[in-house]
Amino acid sequence: MSSLWSKIGLSALLLFFIIALGWVGYRMFTNELDPKVRTIIYVPKTIDTSIEFWEVMKQGVATAAKEFGADVHTIGTDTELDVDKQIQLLEQAIEEKPDAIILAATDYYRLVPVAEQIKAAGITLITVDSGLNGGVSESFIATDNYKAGRKAAQELIENIHSDDQVAIMNFVPGTATAIEREKGVRDALSQNGVDHVHDTLYSNGSSQKAYQLTVELLKNQPQLKGIIGLNEPSTLGAGLAIMDLGLKSKVKLVGFDNSSSEVHLLEKEIMLGTVIQKPFTMGYLAVKTALEVVSGHKVDSVMDTGSEFITKENMYTSENEKLMFPFIE
Amino acid sequence: MKPHRFFRSRSIHNNIAISFSLLILCTTIVLSYTSYRLSSAAVMGNSLAYTSQLIEQVKLNIENYISNMESISALVLTSSDLEKYVKGSSSGQEGKVKDKQLASQYLRSVVQSRTDISSIVYASSEGITVSDRLDAVLKPLPELIAQEWYQQAVNQTGVAVSSSHVQHIFQDEYRWVVSISRKLSDTFSEMEADRQGVLLVDLNYSVINNLCKQIELGKRGYVFIVDPSGSLVYHPQQQLIYSQLKFEQLETVLGIKSGSVTVNTGNEQKLYTVDTTSFGWKIVGVTYPDDLVANKQQMQGTAALWGAVSLIFAMAISVLLSYALTKPLKNLEINMKKAERGEFDIRVEIESTNEIGKLARTFNLMIMKIKELMSQIVMEQEMKRVSELKALQAQIKPHFLYNTLDSIIWMAETGKMEEVVEMTSSLSKLLRSTIGEGEELIPIARELEHIRHYLTIQNMRYRHKFTYSIEVQEDILKCSILKLVLQPLVENAIYHGIKHNPEQGHILIRGKREHNDITIQIIDNGVGVNPEQMGKLLLQKADYRMGSGVGVANVNHRIQLYFGDHYGLSFESEMEEGTTVTLRIPALYEEENP
Repeated sequence: MSSLWSKIGLSALLLFFIIALGWVGYRMFTNELDPKVRTIIYVPKTIDTSIEFWEVMKQGVATAAKEFGADVHTIGTDTELDVDKQIQLLEQAIEEKPDAIILAATDYYRLVPVAEQIKAAGITLITVDSGLNGGVSESFIATDNYKAGRKAAQELIENIHSDDQVAIMNFVPGTATAIEREKGVRDALSQNGVDHVHDTLYSNGSSQKAYQLTVELLKNQPQLKGIIGLNEPSTLGAGLAIMDLGLKSKVKLVGFDNSSSEVHLLEKEIMLGTVIQKPFTMGYLAVKTALEVVSGHKVDSVMDTGSEFITKENMYTSENEKLMFPFIE
Repeated sequence: MKPHRFFRSRSIHNNIAISFSLLILCTTIVLSYTSYRLSSAAVMGNSLAYTSQLIEQVKLNIENYISNMESISALVLTSSDLEKYVKGSSSGQEGKVKDKQLASQYLRSVVQSRTDISSIVYASSEGITVSDRLDAVLKPLPELIAQEWYQQAVNQTGVAVSSSHVQHIFQDEYRWVVSISRKLSDTFSEMEADRQGVLLVDLNYSVINNLCKQIELGKRGYVFIVDPSGSLVYHPQQQLIYSQLKFEQLETVLGIKSGSVTVNTGNEQKLYTVDTTSFGWKIVGVTYPDDLVANKQQMQGTAALWGAVSLIFAMAISVLLSYALTKPLKNLEINMKKAERGEFDIRVEIESTNEIGKLARTFNLMIMKIKELMSQIVMEQEMKRVSELKALQAQIKPHFLYNTLDSIIWMAETGKMEEVVEMTSSLSKLLRSTIGEGEELIPIARELEHIRHYLTIQNMRYRHKFTYSIEVQEDILKCSILKLVLQPLVENAIYHGIKHNPEQGHILIRGKREHNDITIQIIDNGVGVNPEQMGKLLLQKADYRMGSGVGVANVNHRIQLYFGDHYGLSFESEMEEGTTVTLRIPALYEEENP
């Protein structure tokens, strides 16, 4: 009996040492591993530095990279339309074997095959701002465009009567963002009893086209009381048309995004307000999420970065200033 | 005092090992932990001092910038060009326009001399506005006057410093600046009180941005600036804070003039190092305690590793030590076990002169003494056995002699001279062979010779009352047998078998080999022995004064003494039929004799 007990005692001691040593070894090992810098390749739609939206998103990416100690490279095309080049860049990126790729897809469908390749190569894929068909990525971090659409519509509704006529100036038919925003707008309008909604107009992302369409519309539909522009050029074109036709107080305009031209329209009270996205937050969360996935955490498949409705009154509050007038170094 | 149960139940080896291990374990843990705490505190203290210095440096730089702006604004207000325009001393529209141009030109020269100034604007409530820009269009006066920089300057004496904001005094120009505004009446003291004018100097925000951005506080640390109203002047993650993805404890910061405080924001611990500028901005250095002691984990790891390494070494040493201490004891124990089993040819190696060495020496002495005593006993036993044998043999001789001599006397009295001669001759040969060389073992042939003489004598004594025959295998004749073992058996057969038999008896002596043994049977056809008597035959003590029966017991005793308990005599008897005595001895040839 006594020898049994002492055997147990000795075994326990031995076990304790083995565990202690193992723990220390593990700590040393992980200490060796921990400083290992995660590499992330960030592929925005464009690396054109004159486009504020992507510059701000890049700031968010850089902030997160610094905070979490990741090594982020940015590669991208000169324009948002060069889908083939983006595919080619992604293929090159796979060769570099990063831990993660953060992608703002220039095309909802055409980038799916290369996204599958990225996943097959064992690389974490996060999509930001513009997603991919079928939800290939681990997480999609973007503005909830449906909610943003509703927000824009809600503001318009408060400034018109429910039996007033309303028009929607969309940008490109078939684009995921455009569809979602319009759906949000239409849902909010119909739920609030605004039923006189004209057929959607498409500016194709050109402010001139939006201008022409709005001028025609305003001439043909003198009863029109509200216009919702679903992106920057569409809103700007519509705003300029209202200004030029001198219908400033008669036709209410709400729009999307922020440019100095739009700020001008806001200050001149041609626009009621504009829904702005949070590219900084997108960039930051994309990196954060990518690193979480790489370290094996579970993340939400879709993350809404939110949007704000900016008017002339709240434009210069400290909360909105940063969003409206991003400080670009 | 009794040892604790815990210690009683274990071997000394284990006790020493466990006690040492526990002692070492505690010591190592305490030492490792203390050294870790001390070095961690030292690193923490250094980092704190370093952070405080950095923050103070940032504060001084910012104060420097702002005081520069203040002095510039003070300088501008002393300018005669501006004063002339503001006072409206020139008469006529043309003169006023010229004064405005001169004032603007002066402001422009100031702005151009410094890259950190964004713009300088003067505005007064009665509609006098002038800026450093030639072409830019100022916003309408009511809008300007409503703006914060103007209102702040009007409502307070001295200089108003704004938080960082987008300046929107010019049409379509949105720059990030920090505004330093000063009420005109403070310097133009001779002006009437109702004439209010404010001079605005805008400091490029990038100056502050760059200053703060380059500060490195550990891996993740950063600097932020908050103004007394709690709005952020600079924060690298301002947008995240407005989006409520990140939090700063601004109330805590605003309550501190300078110093450090640890706060919990979100699920993280942060260390704020605060310093306050002369105009109220709080410069806050944010460091992460985990990050601050950047190598905290490494320190933990190192402390734990060296702790564990020394622990393992110490453990190994303690085990070895306890083994070394108890090894001689174990060795002693093994030897004692041997002694317990009866091995006395042992000697414990004495390796040391300590207590255990003494113990071993004593043990050796004891074993030696026991061995001596044992051999003494064996020797004494041997001597006793030999003397006993001698005594047995010696006591046979007189017993037989009396009987024979009696017979001879009786024959001589009855005049049977021839028979006296024969008998005496046989007796003389018998005695010669008996007394002979005095050795104990003799060949069977000689023993048979001896028994023949004896039978001759006895046959004559009992007047041919019996016949005899000897049938012994040739090959055992040379084997050894104890001297004078057959005679008592034959004697027994005569006295107890033949003597009381009315008919003539017969004695057969038959010898043969059975495997490794030799059996010699003395078979008579006399009256036999009843079983009760037969049982007693071999048990009788060697009391030689009793009848001849004791002779048989002697024989048996002698054989067993000499050859061991496997050998000896056995009896078979049937009343009125006869008795067979079987003598069993090992087959020993003369040359093999022990």
